[in-house]
Amino acid sequence: MRRTIVNLKSASVAAILSVAGLLLCCPLHSYAADNAVQVELDVKKAAPRAVEDLTERSILRDYRFAWLTMSRALEFNSPDFLEGAFAGDVKGMLTQTVASQQRSHLSRRYSDQSHRVEAVFYAPEGDVMELHDTAEYQLQLLDGDKALINEHVVVHYVVLMTPAADRWVVRQLQAVPRF
Amino acid sequence: MKYALPIILVVVTALLIFAGLFVNAQAGITLGVAKGSALHTATANTPDQAVNNLLLEVQRRNWDRAYDNISDKDDVPKEAFIRSWGGSDGSLRSFSSLEGFEARPLHETNDEAQIRLHLEFSTPVGPIEDVRDLHLVRVGKVWKAVWPRIEVPNVPAQVIPVTFLRWDLVTSSAGNEWGAKNVDAPHVRIISMNAVDSAEGAVVMGEVTNEDTVPAFVTVNATLVDGSGNAIDEESSFDKIAHVLLPKQVTPYRIDFPGFNLKNVKNVRMGVNAALVPASADPVIGVMNQRIDTDMQGKSVLHGDLLNQGGQTVNIPHIIASFYDNDGKVVWVSDGYVDRALLPQSSEAFAVEIPKSLSSKIHNFHVVVNQYSLNNS
Amino acid sequence: MTSADPEMTGLFKLFAIMCMAASLSLPCSAQELRVPSSAIAGEAATIPTTGSGNATFYLMGPGTAKKSDVTLGEEIHLPSPDLQYAGNYSAILCSNSCSSANFYVTAAKPAAMIFLVHPSRVPVAQGDAVSGVAFPFDRYHNLVTAPLNVNFQLTAKDATLWSRSVRTQDSVAWFRTNSGNSAGPVQAIASLDDEPVRRVVQQVASEPCNLRITGERTRAGILVQTEPVHDCVGNIVPDGTIVTFTSTGPDGKGTVDAPIKQGVARAKIESPGASTISVASGVVLGNEIRVGAQP
Repeated sequence: MRRTIVNLKSASVAAILSVAGLLLCCPLHSYAADNAVQVELDVKKAAPRAVEDLTERSILRDYRFAWLTMSRALEFNSPDFLEGAFAGDVKGMLTQTVASQQRSHLSRRYSDQSHRVEAVFYAPEGDVMELHDTAEYQLQLLDGDKALINEHVVVHYVVLMTPAADRWVVRQLQAVPRF
Repeated sequence: MKYALPIILVVVTALLIFAGLFVNAQAGITLGVAKGSALHTATANTPDQAVNNLLLEVQRRNWDRAYDNISDKDDVPKEAFIRSWGGSDGSLRSFSSLEGFEARPLHETNDEAQIRLHLEFSTPVGPIEDVRDLHLVRVGKVWKAVWPRIEVPNVPAQVIPVTFLRWDLVTSSAGNEWGAKNVDAPHVRIISMNAVDSAEGAVVMGEVTNEDTVPAFVTVNATLVDGSGNAIDEESSFDKIAHVLLPKQVTPYRIDFPGFNLKNVKNVRMGVNAALVPASADPVIGVMNQRIDTDMQGKSVLHGDLLNQGGQTVNIPHIIASFYDNDGKVVWVSDGYVDRALLPQSSEAFAVEIPKSLSSKIHNFHVVVNQYSLNNS
Repeated sequence: MTSADPEMTGLFKLFAIMCMAASLSLPCSAQELRVPSSAIAGEAATIPTTGSGNATFYLMGPGTAKKSDVTLGEEIHLPSPDLQYAGNYSAILCSNSCSSANFYVTAAKPAAMIFLVHPSRVPVAQGDAVSGVAFPFDRYHNLVTAPLNVNFQLTAKDATLWSRSVRTQDSVAWFRTNSGNSAGPVQAIASLDDEPVRRVVQQVASEPCNLRITGERTRAGILVQTEPVHDCVGNIVPDGTIVTFTSTGPDGKGTVDAPIKQGVARAKIESPGASTISVASGVVLGNEIRVGAQP
């Protein structure tokens, strides 16, 4: 009887600890955490203008934000996520992508993103910067809940960013076979 | 019984109203609290009472009753008297009210008296103090004020062509096409900066110039930074700067940090923002007869006359003066408003105060006139 | 002659049977997608399929997420609107199982340019004062990454002040040059083969140079005026530029901020006593004159 009681107590403690551990290590929206998008930025080759420290920090912050919001927009098929990080034609393209996915009940998920970004051009007046992004991520293409593709990919992106009122925004995000 | 309370309330209210209208209240020693009730004032048996009566009616804007308190009605037309207190031509005085006053007797005999008035006006740009001496005479049994003759500029009717440049701003209609956007913001540059401690706190001042060929709306701000690189406080120049700068125009600026001391400050980070703005080069205002003197209160002031050389009324002139030491460094910036409108082809006096501690260091000064005209709003 | 090992023979037979069974058990579909090796934006493409039966085809890429039913053995037609955007596309074909392939769509031929020029106003005779950046795009707003020659020109009143042909590197061409010596509008032009893109840069006079004044006493006061105000290269300083006249005399100091009009600034200073009058514009100082007292 005593052993049973001890066992029961141990079992309940173990159950409580397990649930707590699950809750702590597996938050409900862990996908959307900032640490799911890793970005490294190298500005040494930027020319003709040298990239200022503050600009470098802003680019790093805002480019990561752009990928985070784009991932959410394409996973949850909500164009509202695109506000703030994108401008011009790329925003139109992404909005069209979301609309197309909505019609077809498709979606895509980018996870475990790692971006090695290099600034290759910074305009003399500082009003545009070109980046080359070697992006690695786990790509899932989904039809409803069914995964059509689940693969690790490496894609090269040419990115143009311009300064807006209080941040840098992405104006062009184009995948290319090679730089 | 149920009507007792309402009846009591009505009766008490009526009694209080009666008391307020007809019973003399004691004037407080507090600056400028008016004596007298709302309907009549005490008989001006003394110079002090005469001044109180006059200013009380001015405070209440009872112009007829205020005018009755002056002795020289033949020399001072009623309209001019009312304009001198109530303001005209959209001047700052038009939007002001006499908040309080203090009267100090300087000299008194049986028939004459001299009283120094400290008048405090509340205005849209903050409190403005005015100090003037008032001469009173005894007329029969009552005292009355001898109001100074009000000089009205005698400007002949004329047509003044406006031929100075005017800039308008047209925004782009090219949509949001990247690269085809608007003109660049004006280039402005801070040409000097000096940070000092004052009685009220830290002060950052200097001069800024518009290096461009178009008018600029300029603001200057400063951030105090401590030894660790952290920002302690950030402030802006607010109205201690001429915001609209025409090409190559220079303005002083002053940024106050009340309660802060520079001993904790390692660095001052300056920022200047400039935006395109419509503007006009008219009217041209001359600043004449500038000199540093001591006023009747013993304070060091820079005073002079503003001369409107154009054909447009300047409703609210604003003077900003920069003071330099022997090395040409800006050691202080003062500003002040003239509460009378500056009419075309006429002049108005101005005065701005200089801190006593600095008056010995001042070697030179420069005055800039900021202007606000209702027509240009 | 070596006789075959019966056990090995049996293994080989078993292997062959297994292969046949495997091929038979495979779904009736094309397992390999032959995607286009070089697709151009805005151009239709096809993907051939093999096998028989029905399948579901997915195309996902920039601006596109489509799902359609297809018949195996027939070509899958990719219409041009679906391939409008340059980028990475995934083609997926599913029947019993799914197979996929990725392909790139590259930009079409250049049709437009984004041309950024700074500044919109520039003082004359300044080194490296004008810069321009050009990005070539195709008609679908895709960045053209292939190297191209971009022709840059600066012209004023139909005369070419400067020109250069620059090959794009990393999809961008740029230039930096001095501003000219004459005030006035200058056109900056960037062109490929087609319609050039134009921007206007206003060249303005630099700081006033050799600021000189004359003055005389009249009944109205002291009238002072500048000589025509030029910069050091000879351009008239634009109207509206503020010139500050300062008089110092026994009555105190007087200042007037007067704007330049038709190259000259004028002011009236009221000062009955003998006065010294100086002039300044911005941070540039001019000469001083002395005017006698009012008689």
